[in-house]
Amino acid sequence: MPPLTPPKSGDALFASVDRVNAELFTLTYGAMVRQLLTDLEEVEEVNKQLDQMGYNIGTRLVDEFLAKSNVSRCVDFKETADVIAKLGFKMFLGVTANVTNWDAEGTSCSFVLEDNPLVDFVELPDTCQGLQYCNVLSGVIRGALEMVSMKTEVTWVRDMLRGDDAYEMRVKLIKQVPEEYPYKDDD
Amino acid sequence: MIVCVAVVGHQNNPLYLQSFTEADDALKLHHIVHCSLDVIDERVNNPKRSAPTLNETFLGLLYPTENYKVYGYLTNTKVKFIMVTTDLDVKDADARNFFRKFHAAYVDAVSNPFHVPGKKIASRSFGSRVSTIVKSFGAGTTV
Repeated sequence: MPPLTPPKSGDALFASVDRVNAELFTLTYGAMVRQLLTDLEEVEEVNKQLDQMGYNIGTRLVDEFLAKSNVSRCVDFKETADVIAKLGFKMFLGVTANVTNWDAEGTSCSFVLEDNPLVDFVELPDTCQGLQYCNVLSGVIRGALEMVSMKTEVTWVRDMLRGDDAYEMRVKLIKQVPEEYPYKDDD
Repeated sequence: MIVCVAVVGHQNNPLYLQSFTEADDALKLHHIVHCSLDVIDERVNNPKRSAPTLNETFLGLLYPTENYKVYGYLTNTKVKFIMVTTDLDVKDADARNFFRKFHAAYVDAVSNPFHVPGKKIASRSFGSRVSTIVKSFGAGTTV
């Protein structure tokens, strides 16, 4: 069945959703990371928690994304990655990512973000050098893709807070999990 | 030429102190900054009736000493910025411009979630921004 409305472009999508003040968003996220550090004290624990929070967000976010953006089914992982980078990031963060570094089988790619609203004004102190400040983003991608039957693994390659020149996430497709029906066909 | 800038918190606790000249003068400059805090307190507690409390951020020339001039700026959270310069003729507009940029850099440094309000500003990028602003002070162009 053909879609009733054509899929929107990134800018149109961004204009059609409700927006929040960017500084409020950045400061709220910063306060949350700060509080997690105070509560958990271990940088690794905080990384895990951020990833888990991102996972929970991602599982819910993907439905909103699919409802608002009207994209049709993606043919392969390459298209999925493009849709996430251009439409997904644009809709929720207001920035687009570039997809680069495809590996030979087409199952692994990098999202490169030049500017990231989560990290405005942030400077990591020396006591928290192992902190993956944007780990929530990797959780979101993992959660969202898991809801559309793709098991993935997301890691951070480059991080501007550690001195690199951009943010780079490596997304690796582990396997496509076909939908399981709760009842057998031949009953 | 600016020789020293300082940020002092609302309880007169120092938050940031940076001198841009040789080390042996540093103590004297810190002393000058300290004395200027008294001048600011005087000005704040006795507002001149002719200037209502609308734009009291820029305090202007606090007091001229032998070869320095000290300018002050007060934010609405009672954080004070102090600038000590050796320039003999400092245009009012230049000083205001300087404090405006300094205020913007200060706000960005304080928005860092890892900054504890009331503690010293430990941000390296704040330090480098302040150095840039200081270098471009008095360059004459109004950019």
